[in-house]
Amino acid sequence: MGAKTINLDMTECNNREMRIGTIISWDGSASELVEASEYESRSQGTRKKGCPGGGGKACQLCELKMPFSQQTMCANAIVNCQAGNLLDCVLIEHSPIGCSANHPRHNLALRNGLARRGKPKENIRVFSTNLFENDMVFGASGKLRQTIRDAYERFHPKAIFISMSCSTAIIGEDIDSVAEEMQEEIGIEVIPLHCEGFRSKHWATGFDVAQHGVLRQIVNKNPKKQKDLINIIALWGTDYFTEMLKPLGLRVNYLLTLANYEELAQASEAVATTTFCNSLGNYMATALEEHFGVPQIDAPQPYGIKATDEWLRAIAKVAGKSDIIEDYIQSEHERVMPKINELREKLNGVKGFVMTGSAYSHGLISVLRELGIEVQGSIVFHHDPVYDSGNEKQNSLKFLVDEYGDIPHFTVSKTQPFQLYGILNRVETDFVIIRHNGLAPVAAKLGIPALPMGDEHFPVGYDGIIRVGEILIDIIARKKFNQVLKRHTDLGYTDWWLSQEDPFILAHHPEVLDQPIYEMNGGRYDGEEE
Amino acid sequence: MAKKNDSKEVKKKSNSIVHPHYACAIAAAYTVAAIPGAVPITNCGPGCSDKQYFTMSFDNGFQGSASNAGGDIPCVNLGENDIVFGGASKLDGLIKSALKIMKGDLFVVLTGCAGELIGDDVDSVVKKYRNMGYNIVSADVAGFKGNNLYGHEVVVKAIIDQFVGEYKGKKRKKLINLWFETPYFNTNWRGDYTEMKRILEGAGFEVNVLFGPQSEGVKEWKNIPKAAFNLVVSPWLGLSTAEYLQEKYNQPYLHIPVIPVGEEATTAFIRQVVEFAGIDNTKSEAFIAKEAKEYYYYLEHFSEYIGEFWFGLPSKFATVGDSAYNIALTRFLADQMGLVPVKQIITDRPPEKYREAIADLYHELSEGVSVEVEFEEDGYLVEQSLRKVDFGSGKPLILGSSWELDVAAEKKAILIEIGTPATEEVVLNRSFIGYKGAFTLLEKIYTKVVGG
Repeated sequence: MGAKTINLDMTECNNREMRIGTIISWDGSASELVEASEYESRSQGTRKKGCPGGGGKACQLCELKMPFSQQTMCANAIVNCQAGNLLDCVLIEHSPIGCSANHPRHNLALRNGLARRGKPKENIRVFSTNLFENDMVFGASGKLRQTIRDAYERFHPKAIFISMSCSTAIIGEDIDSVAEEMQEEIGIEVIPLHCEGFRSKHWATGFDVAQHGVLRQIVNKNPKKQKDLINIIALWGTDYFTEMLKPLGLRVNYLLTLANYEELAQASEAVATTTFCNSLGNYMATALEEHFGVPQIDAPQPYGIKATDEWLRAIAKVAGKSDIIEDYIQSEHERVMPKINELREKLNGVKGFVMTGSAYSHGLISVLRELGIEVQGSIVFHHDPVYDSGNEKQNSLKFLVDEYGDIPHFTVSKTQPFQLYGILNRVETDFVIIRHNGLAPVAAKLGIPALPMGDEHFPVGYDGIIRVGEILIDIIARKKFNQVLKRHTDLGYTDWWLSQEDPFILAHHPEVLDQPIYEMNGGRYDGEEE
Repeated sequence: MAKKNDSKEVKKKSNSIVHPHYACAIAAAYTVAAIPGAVPITNCGPGCSDKQYFTMSFDNGFQGSASNAGGDIPCVNLGENDIVFGGASKLDGLIKSALKIMKGDLFVVLTGCAGELIGDDVDSVVKKYRNMGYNIVSADVAGFKGNNLYGHEVVVKAIIDQFVGEYKGKKRKKLINLWFETPYFNTNWRGDYTEMKRILEGAGFEVNVLFGPQSEGVKEWKNIPKAAFNLVVSPWLGLSTAEYLQEKYNQPYLHIPVIPVGEEATTAFIRQVVEFAGIDNTKSEAFIAKEAKEYYYYLEHFSEYIGEFWFGLPSKFATVGDSAYNIALTRFLADQMGLVPVKQIITDRPPEKYREAIADLYHELSEGVSVEVEFEEDGYLVEQSLRKVDFGSGKPLILGSSWELDVAAEKKAILIEIGTPATEEVVLNRSFIGYKGAFTLLEKIYTKVVGG
């Protein structure tokens, strides 16, 4: 182990773009992106090539700059689904009430997540300090202190998280000092999270921020090793990991969403850490390795046959079960292959398109291609040219391209519906797989049904291939509904925009904005000079 | 889970909120989105517009959106550089592109907390495009200034001021501007606007309905000054708009604080509006007669169920919701169904100056029926208050939101979602008001009773 890449001394965690060069706007083929990312030389710090960014790990890829964007999520929202979905902790959002307007979403996610894990449904416990104009002028630390006292008195949580918002960051609220002071007063951990929305260009920084707070203040610093415990960094997914890992004598410790304080604390006691998505889990996994000696699973993400084989072997190694693993893998292959072959026949000729977070998309495309589904394109909402670990087996995009071939239209775009018409026009597809809101409605009106991958563990492992194959047969049937929509509804974009072939034309040729479009819009003929 | 129901009283000492029943002012992007042909543009951080979508639309009956809301809203997505160096040029680029990319007849730029705090001169950026001939207006709707109802009124006024403009022409005697429920925020707004328009047209009026599928969109807004008067059907929301229009276009207004539900209330409502307008009542009376006949046809059949169902009916009920729906549904159930109101809590933060008048409405729910309404925005305290309610021997009935799911389960109550968040309901064109909507509400409640 070399120098630590993750610094847990500071309350703030560095943005993704600063740490690992994350981008949100790019267009090309997957193999070109693998090459441009230079994962290996980036992680080893040997990348030079006269890059204006200096060539280090965080050096930005050349990114497309667009003058137009549509609404997206933010890091503060992600923190809400992390720290706000812990079972015996409380999150306080230090902000005006609007920052809490997504609470119903994460309440629904918590209730359904609990049901998936066989636990009773309950509502979230998240506070808003509910700030007004006066608070913007005179500061709101007094309200924050009082809200922390209220939270403690009402719910007796094991820990209290405080999340920063755009407005409280701009007016310079010192949540670190308040947290320190109140921790002293109430005697439980009070954890400041610096996740104001404007601070990072991608919401995924919010995962890192929440994990950073847990690593600093909750994870047990004097761990007693639990030889049969494995960390899975996850969201609300169904517990498929237990059935996969039980034969290796392992118990699963899901982090962070849906976890309780004890489960978070024992993260340092596990034999290893793995995840369903490197984009989500790599910060925490790397920090656990560097600071607590819990190794990461040295393997690709468990999607498709080959990656699942390798992932299981790597887990067996840390669990001391290498002696039984080949038999286990073989018996699993024998169990699932007949069904997978049957699905391959049924899905013969089907084409698909994936639009999700970054590493998750790499996994989903593997599963589709495993089922014989042709994938001509994908949208990832961001791209990390390298992960914090720098582990080469975790280079999920390279693994995908090497094992399953290139993806000709591989687009990095942060949930931008206006680009989707052009992007989908370049490919043939019978369905889209989607996470995050905003894109499926456009696909729907183009006659294309969506599989919202709301249960993120669904495609994991050998059985994941079968689950995806089976549900896709149902999703493709839904095309009838989408064809009705296509016949009778309209996209809200101008004919001029829909006639553009390049979804990134505003970056490649910003001068097109000055062309006349001969179309009545906004009450006048655009381009008309008066 | 953390311990939740401490028996000891928890005193609230700050104005913090758990389980919010509203969004913030920038959610007025959905006021814009409710006008066919109008496109909101948000000038705020990333995340703001997306978050409002959940309280306003998705987790509020899964209403969805159509091309000008949800993920489609153009947004400047302010970043760290913009906070430090200003975001005006980025906003300028966004507007310039939005006018080219988004199909629309009217664009409304909404500035949120971050946009407001960094102090960019948004109005002059917007004015540049207005001077070029585009229909574009600007509204300050920073979340720290108020909730989505506040934002709704700001946006309505901004459109009137900066787009509808001056008018000196004639008024049309039968044309009404309707100021009614908050679009998207009220889970049933689309169905309710449709029923309200049907009722007013049935009574002989033309209606500028202004929002929703029945609206003619942006050009209908241009007709606002031509209306004979403004009709405010809401306890308080819309009053400031009506006062403003009285000043601006010399238009009188009629304020009817309680949305009519059921035949008697709706018929009285029609007669009041017709009388105020001074139009001939032949058409309205014929409409009333036809509607009443049909209404009592159904009610008579339904009465057998109420009289002969052996397995228990609800009686005592609580209502948790915004001012408009709270009083409308509470009065209908108390006055027309003989259910017993025991705990009524208003969650939408009405301005102080209206609260006394709103509370008085609960003093005259029906003959001999009066309750003291509470105003509470903190969902935690709402739930604590419900926990203490004695619902007597009948099946407890709570009209509320998804936040009341846990307390309803503890009380073994029937929960009917009447406001946001409403995640146990999928709502398309449902209405709970007027002649037709009253029955939908009854079906909703009593289906749950027999189903339970």
